[in-house]
Amino acid sequence: MIAKKVSANVAALVVALFFAFPTYWMVATALKPRKDLLSTGYDLVPFSVTGSNFATAWAKPGFLNSLGNSLLVSLSAVLAAIVVGLLAAVALSRMRFKGRKGFVMMLLVAQMAPFEALLIPMFLMMRDLDLLDRLPALALIYFAVTLPFCAWTLRGFVNGIPLELEEAAMVDGCGRWGAFRRVTLPLLGPGLVATSVFAFVTAWNEFLFALSLVKDQTKETLPVWLSGFQTQFGTDWGGAMAASALFTLPVLVFFLIVQRKMVTGVTAGAVKG
Amino acid sequence: MKGWRGLAVGAAALAVAVAGCGTSSDGGSGNSGEPKTLTVWLMDGSAPTTLTDALNKEFQDSHAGVTVKYEVQKWNGIQEKLTTALTSNNPPDVIELGNTQTAKFAAEETLTDLSGDVSGLNGDQWLGGLKDSLTWDGKQYGLPFYAANRTVVYRTDLFQAAGIAAAPKSRDEWVSAIEKLKAANAADPDFQPLYLPGQSWYVLLSFIWDEGGDVAKPQGSAWAGAVDTPQAKAGLEFYKKLVDTSGTKAPKDADEATPQQMEVFGTGKVGMMIGLPWELAGAVKANPDLKEKVGAFPIPSKTAGKTAPVFLGGSNLAVPAGSKNADLAKEYLKLLSSKKYQDMLAEGGAVPGTSTDTAKLATTPIGKALADSAPNGKVTPTTPAWAAVEAGQNPLKDMLTAYLTGAKPLDQATADANSALSKTLGG
Amino acid sequence: MTAVHTTDAAVPTDDSSAPRRAAPDGAPRRRGGAFDRALPYLLLAPAVVAILWLIGWPVLSVLVTSFRKLNLRELTRGEVVWTGLDNYAEILGDPAFWGIAVRTVVFTGLVVVVSVLAGLLIALLMRQISPVVRIALQVAMLLAWAMPLLAATTVYQWIFDQQYGILNKTLVKLGFDAFAGYSWFSTGTSTLAVIGLLITWQAVPFLAFSLYAGAIGIPKDQYEAAGIDGASAWQTFRAVTWPELRPLLLMVTFLSLLWDFKVFAQIWAMRKGGPDGGSTTLAVYQYLEGISKSHFGVAAAVSVVMVALLGLLTFQYLRRLVRSQEGEL
Repeated sequence: MIAKKVSANVAALVVALFFAFPTYWMVATALKPRKDLLSTGYDLVPFSVTGSNFATAWAKPGFLNSLGNSLLVSLSAVLAAIVVGLLAAVALSRMRFKGRKGFVMMLLVAQMAPFEALLIPMFLMMRDLDLLDRLPALALIYFAVTLPFCAWTLRGFVNGIPLELEEAAMVDGCGRWGAFRRVTLPLLGPGLVATSVFAFVTAWNEFLFALSLVKDQTKETLPVWLSGFQTQFGTDWGGAMAASALFTLPVLVFFLIVQRKMVTGVTAGAVKG
Repeated sequence: MKGWRGLAVGAAALAVAVAGCGTSSDGGSGNSGEPKTLTVWLMDGSAPTTLTDALNKEFQDSHAGVTVKYEVQKWNGIQEKLTTALTSNNPPDVIELGNTQTAKFAAEETLTDLSGDVSGLNGDQWLGGLKDSLTWDGKQYGLPFYAANRTVVYRTDLFQAAGIAAAPKSRDEWVSAIEKLKAANAADPDFQPLYLPGQSWYVLLSFIWDEGGDVAKPQGSAWAGAVDTPQAKAGLEFYKKLVDTSGTKAPKDADEATPQQMEVFGTGKVGMMIGLPWELAGAVKANPDLKEKVGAFPIPSKTAGKTAPVFLGGSNLAVPAGSKNADLAKEYLKLLSSKKYQDMLAEGGAVPGTSTDTAKLATTPIGKALADSAPNGKVTPTTPAWAAVEAGQNPLKDMLTAYLTGAKPLDQATADANSALSKTLGG
Repeated sequence: MTAVHTTDAAVPTDDSSAPRRAAPDGAPRRRGGAFDRALPYLLLAPAVVAILWLIGWPVLSVLVTSFRKLNLRELTRGEVVWTGLDNYAEILGDPAFWGIAVRTVVFTGLVVVVSVLAGLLIALLMRQISPVVRIALQVAMLLAWAMPLLAATTVYQWIFDQQYGILNKTLVKLGFDAFAGYSWFSTGTSTLAVIGLLITWQAVPFLAFSLYAGAIGIPKDQYEAAGIDGASAWQTFRAVTWPELRPLLLMVTFLSLLWDFKVFAQIWAMRKGGPDGGSTTLAVYQYLEGISKSHFGVAAAVSVVMVALLGLLTFQYLRRLVRSQEGEL
């Protein structure tokens, strides 16, 4: 039994290494001095380490500005998608009404749409709404693209919460809204978290629309800023990797905050048995 | 926060009529007598900032009420960005286009015809190769901006140590220089006398043109591939000869960008590379020790004493057809085409587009090599379909890889590439 | 029971062992007022409006565009030129098209199977390991997920680089000298294998997280009952885990299918669909034939064909879903 436990842990660590290795390689490259970038020697561990690439990335104009833009766009899109998605999820999961089937089909089919091919029509739409060159255009698009997924997934999480709990609360004198807020919402914590991490990463990494819809450089998002390391005069890969590492940090922080909540949510869920 | 209010308005409008798509131009620009804004898009790294700063200042000073909105564009994703920008209500007034892309934008009538303004734009001094690239249907759709071409960058110290007295002036001398370098550095297993990746197709163009061939030829209204000709095959054979003689360790299935050949040159284990001026600068940046040890010479021709034709990489400037300030844009281009700014371009290390005077360029070894070979510069076939060849799966690259790795014999590799080219160019 | 019982998130199957949530019927709050009847529509309204407007309209416009000639000229001038079925004739008549379609389906299928299987195994593994190792594993997976695409595609290319790649260097160090200077991108199949690995690596974290959430929702007592019977791990899996997780598995498989089928950036970044077109999928084909030539009508037609193909592939699932929805109503 113990041997089995140990081997499971070892296997898990091997898997963790596999997933972390590219990130390690990104950071290792960022730490290498430029002359070591192409080395025929065995450099699994860098021969020497420098902070100059991180300094380059940090000093490249626009980092903080585009970080702010990205946070603004991604967070508002995720927030909107979660709120609107949750409303729809509750309706789907808890209520009977005509047209339910059609709505579910719409959620699924909307996810089949080839995103890149929507660039031109979405561009024309934003042009006509006079939203070109404005961050809300991006927030709106990321919201729309993540919404079907959020609504669909949250529906599953709401389904997982026994209706009896809500009804018990209503019997105890809570209104429908009160029952939802005091019982369902807290239990949905982990689901909301998992869904929002997904939506956040999608919006955070998007490049094509961010590039095409916004030409004002003060409104660049991080992926567009990052692509600025690729110039006509070649790519500063050390700097690009250092910048990518900085770029990954907010997601990691977001997850670590949320991860605790996820565990708490699961525990709270377990308590009610 | 204007945008967020716009969003609210948009959402409200939506509530009234789903997907109501009335065009709403904000009318904030272009009113007569009002202050005007001239939007200029140049590419990242095109012109030195000293030039653009001075140019924009002079233009604003001489045009009261005009503001130049100068925006630097990134290369990554530029095609999508240009496409959408040209479609918007307020396209930029001056744009920079890669010379191999210009025909496509011209043929689709998205650019202003500048034929009538050529003489005012220093037309008699335009760089020939670039001029070809912006001519479509007999009309001029742009202004040559600047160009650069490949030269052979070499290590002067290693040449000296190997007993090579002068820069090679013919193919034979070049090959023998490779052999000498190889022999002199035989002790170092990592040494490469010449770094030449398998898919450097711009280099191949030089060799094919030098043989008198080309990659495509006009056929009726379209173009057809021409890499199955004896001349083109001779060019390929010379390419292979360089690869074999030098024993280059460069990948045969990648171009000079993966890995970046300037970084490879920067390791100090390479005798020569065929590159652009900025690649030399990048190599020196990667390895400052090389600074005093590098020189350049034009790609030698098979005819001793001549230089091989080279591909002129570069840009044109154009005025989008939808520009609301086309006349101002032309005046801006006129100022840019004047000798003062052309000299600044040359000083910055590029071959100027509208001035034949390259004195300011020829002050460095690589600048001199550049200036010597640029008049012999050529461009890829001027057809709107060519942009798709480069944007996608370039058959010339696959041809080189197949031939160099031995996956296909020469005749088959060229025949396959030829039909792929004809297919792309014909449609 | 825990809160994250997501099994019902997917299509409830005919399998009666899957627990069903309490039927809405007979709930005491059925008062039947006008507000109650309108409530579901009010709750859905924002989502419906957003999806119809922001996705439905562009999708419709893609469909319409597929019957038009829309090159740069028409686009910049706002001209409308109808060409009927020309765009479809062009792509369906392209001898290369069907080979690419088959390659796309096979590639998608393999990537989906491998990544869902890996996600499932990791999800099950996560229940067996100590909390510290579990957090390490989760953070590692999140790192994979959060890595910017530019960095991820570049790092993969470096790892597999012919001369400087750490993989070849390591293999040589381990004694496999044949890998010195081995090119992983010399054929389409081998290139697709590397791309497939990249996509799997990016997809597994989401799959593992979802399936893990589903797996911890399976009541412990069911396992205890199985354990007392002296069942083997495989038998326990068959008897308890599989039926409980099946609906969720189906759902994430469905979602993976949609996502992996449309992948473009990763394939393009590696070798632009090369060498010799050997790693070209439909998404790459769309870019080459439509977008890079600025023939947006053709690009739109490829989109429509892709969606139709996806619809065909997922038809069974959708049908079953619709049926089960009817059952629930």
